Amino acid sequence: MFKLHYRLERRAIGMTLGIIAAASIGGFVEIAPLFTIHQTVEAAPDMRVYTPLELAGRNIYIREGCYACHSQMIRTLRDEVERYGHYSLAVESKYDHPMLWGSKRTGPDIARLGGKYSDEWHVRHLLNPRDVVPVSIMPAYGWLMENDLRTDDLSDQLTAQRVVGVPYTPDMIRNAADDAYGQANPDSSRAKGVKTRYGEETNIRSFAGAPGRLTEMDALVAYLQILGHLTDAASRDTVAKDLE
Amino acid sequence: MMMDFSHETVVWAAKTFGLIYLVIFSMAVVAYAFWPSRQKEFHDASAAILKQEDRPWR
Amino acid sequence: MISNLTTGERRGALLILLVMTLVGLFFAAAGRGDPIAVHGALIMVAAIALAFPIMARLYDPEPPAERFDTYYDDPSKVGIILTFVWAAFAMFVGDWVAWLLVEPTWTTSGAWSSFGRIRPVHTTGVIFGFGGNGLIATSFYVMQRTSRVRLPDQLSPWFVLIGYNLFCVLAVTGYMLGITQSKEYAEPEWYADLWLVIVWVVYFILYMRTLARREEPHIYVANWYYMAFILVVAMLHIVNNLAVPVSFLSAKSFSLFSGVQDALTEWWYGHNAVAFFLTAGFLGMMYYYLPIRAGRPIFSYRMSIISFWGITFMYMWVGSHHLHHTALPQWVQTLGMTFSLVLIVPSWASAANALLTLNGAWHKVRDDATLRFMMIAAVFYGLTTFEGSFMAIRSVNALSHYTDWTVGHVHAGALGWVAMITFGALYASIPWLWKRERMYSPALVEVHFWLALSGTAIYVFALWNAGIIQGLMWRTYTENGNLAYTFLDSVVAMRPYYIARAIGGLLFLLGALAGCLNLYLTIRYAAPATDTASLKPLRDELNDAATLPAE
Repeated sequence: MFKLHYRLERRAIGMTLGIIAAASIGGFVEIAPLFTIHQTVEAAPDMRVYTPLELAGRNIYIREGCYACHSQMIRTLRDEVERYGHYSLAVESKYDHPMLWGSKRTGPDIARLGGKYSDEWHVRHLLNPRDVVPVSIMPAYGWLMENDLRTDDLSDQLTAQRVVGVPYTPDMIRNAADDAYGQANPDSSRAKGVKTRYGEETNIRSFAGAPGRLTEMDALVAYLQILGHLTDAASRDTVAKDLE
Repeated sequence: MMMDFSHETVVWAAKTFGLIYLVIFSMAVVAYAFWPSRQKEFHDASAAILKQEDRPWR
Repeated sequence: MISNLTTGERRGALLILLVMTLVGLFFAAAGRGDPIAVHGALIMVAAIALAFPIMARLYDPEPPAERFDTYYDDPSKVGIILTFVWAAFAMFVGDWVAWLLVEPTWTTSGAWSSFGRIRPVHTTGVIFGFGGNGLIATSFYVMQRTSRVRLPDQLSPWFVLIGYNLFCVLAVTGYMLGITQSKEYAEPEWYADLWLVIVWVVYFILYMRTLARREEPHIYVANWYYMAFILVVAMLHIVNNLAVPVSFLSAKSFSLFSGVQDALTEWWYGHNAVAFFLTAGFLGMMYYYLPIRAGRPIFSYRMSIISFWGITFMYMWVGSHHLHHTALPQWVQTLGMTFSLVLIVPSWASAANALLTLNGAWHKVRDDATLRFMMIAAVFYGLTTFEGSFMAIRSVNALSHYTDWTVGHVHAGALGWVAMITFGALYASIPWLWKRERMYSPALVEVHFWLALSGTAIYVFALWNAGIIQGLMWRTYTENGNLAYTFLDSVVAMRPYYIARAIGGLLFLLGALAGCLNLYLTIRYAAPATDTASLKPLRDELNDAATLPAE
């Protein structure tokens, strides 16, 4: 009796192992090579990390589910390149934990949105899209202007980003909250360190047009304005891919 | 993890090993399903769920 | 229901609830200032609320030994009720978001109700709330019958069912609070993910224990599919959700992977969630309920085995077809496309197997809406898998990707296949479980069927049109070689299709509500079954089955 029981049980386990064997191989074959892919990804020595304010903006982008309607991945197709700009390179999202390539374009792709519109346009558009684009079906995001940006956990956020591989320096981590405030308040004393830490090209201005405050709107607009501008790799890329 | 291997090596292993694995696996499955002595077991199993007793075996 | 638990099981339940209360209290108190505190409070309140009825019956006498003469179906019953509740809730939200694409102002000004936050409420609600509860409830039912053995204990099935629903509630309330990791169909944050791992391990162990005690020598094929669903979903869930939390008192985490690795991991998960959650699990359902309802054994048992391994093996390779023409290496894209095409073989084998099983029982399909639900499900399964393979071809994908065609495809599968087979299986199980002659109103099942079918057809046709028009508008050039349409032109062109889609969704929702009503009436008012033989409407077919020629 005991032996029979053992045999029956073993068959259920055998099936379990079979399922695992069958199911794991595909993922192994498909995904394993991606962990060596850094050897083939384009080099981008000029690539900079997100500032704390931009990272906070990115978190808001995630929180509001923007990725459900906007992709950030321009495919290697002629019409996409003409409509949105140079196709997306793998390196451009190498600091994106998680990636936000998206899967649906209810609205347009925004991989290279940065710098296309003014901050003021973005603020008006986010407060009520139909004020600037009458036929838009995008939701209005009124609360972004009302909510003060949470900055007390930004140092922790940068630390966690560093753990997953984004090269934030201890200096950046220590000053995260101040840098976030300073980037949106150029006249404040806290603005000075931002360019030292994140580079001369960093946008430092009052994104939401409400100086003295730091709102979620500042963060989101700062993020939208950097999209496609963390590296120049795409504009330097001269190897023309065959576009279909 | 496997960072020491070159990308080409890993891709090569994936492409060859995966293919061999697929073929062997498929043959094993077909052999299992069509093994003559199992026919009765399968037939019984497909008919067994239609039995009426709605109570556990004790 | 609680007095059916043994004293030991009642104590065990209280202990688990006590631990949960303490964990919830810890997060609620220590996580103040972070959204995680809200979830801590929610866990605490839920655990306390569940503890009260158990404490009230803690000293009830032990359940009689006769319980071993019957299957343990209380969790299945509650699971079925929850399935209907989630269907009504999540399909309502789904239709709401569909109308928001027609008229974006039809919502409150509160952040919680904006499109981006409630869209995942819909997807999680239908996939995990409706689909998952349907799978858990029917799997408890099926594994006991096919093994001819009672569940090994009465506590772990409740842990699985209630724990799973807690996960779903944490997920959907999280999105409305702004807690999400943005990975599509894996949005819940790290603590909810960890909780699901615990629940899932208990589920797997429960299934293994039941199978190990089985009386039947052979493990019936439906269990294979349920097992693949449990196992592979565990694999996918763990790998895709690897993340580093900002702190242990923060709801926020960052994915361990970035960029192209994250994209492939996500779609390896995303597509296999379709494969092993929305396909394998429901095929398990089909392989049990369809033969029984039709009163005929499955057409070819061998074909069901071969398709099982084909699906288990090949689905795992195809995720990269979600990333055609992106920064993903070309060979991975080609591999995904090739396997997507091969996958049509086991998929169609399963669909054909189901339809051929109905040969000789077509008069039942005509008369019995429950069986018709299952038949239509098999048809949509065949259609959707064909369409899926087609859309995985690179050049087709160039047109279809990012458009509403994808959404239409998903709903052909979700409404036509997943929901139809679930409703069919539930309508079959409800009278058996509650020992009723039949559903209270067969006419209402009929109404549900036609609402569901017409809703699906309208929905899918609308979005096929929408997607193809969208894709063509994006790539049309004028004679001068300029792009002919702005993006906004394509948004305006979508409006009539979005209206049609929302109407299709509304019909489907109404059907589900009719199902909820019928469930209530059946439990409350339907006549009890007179003899057990009528519980399964197939006595006359038994002799056929026994003498069936070998395939």
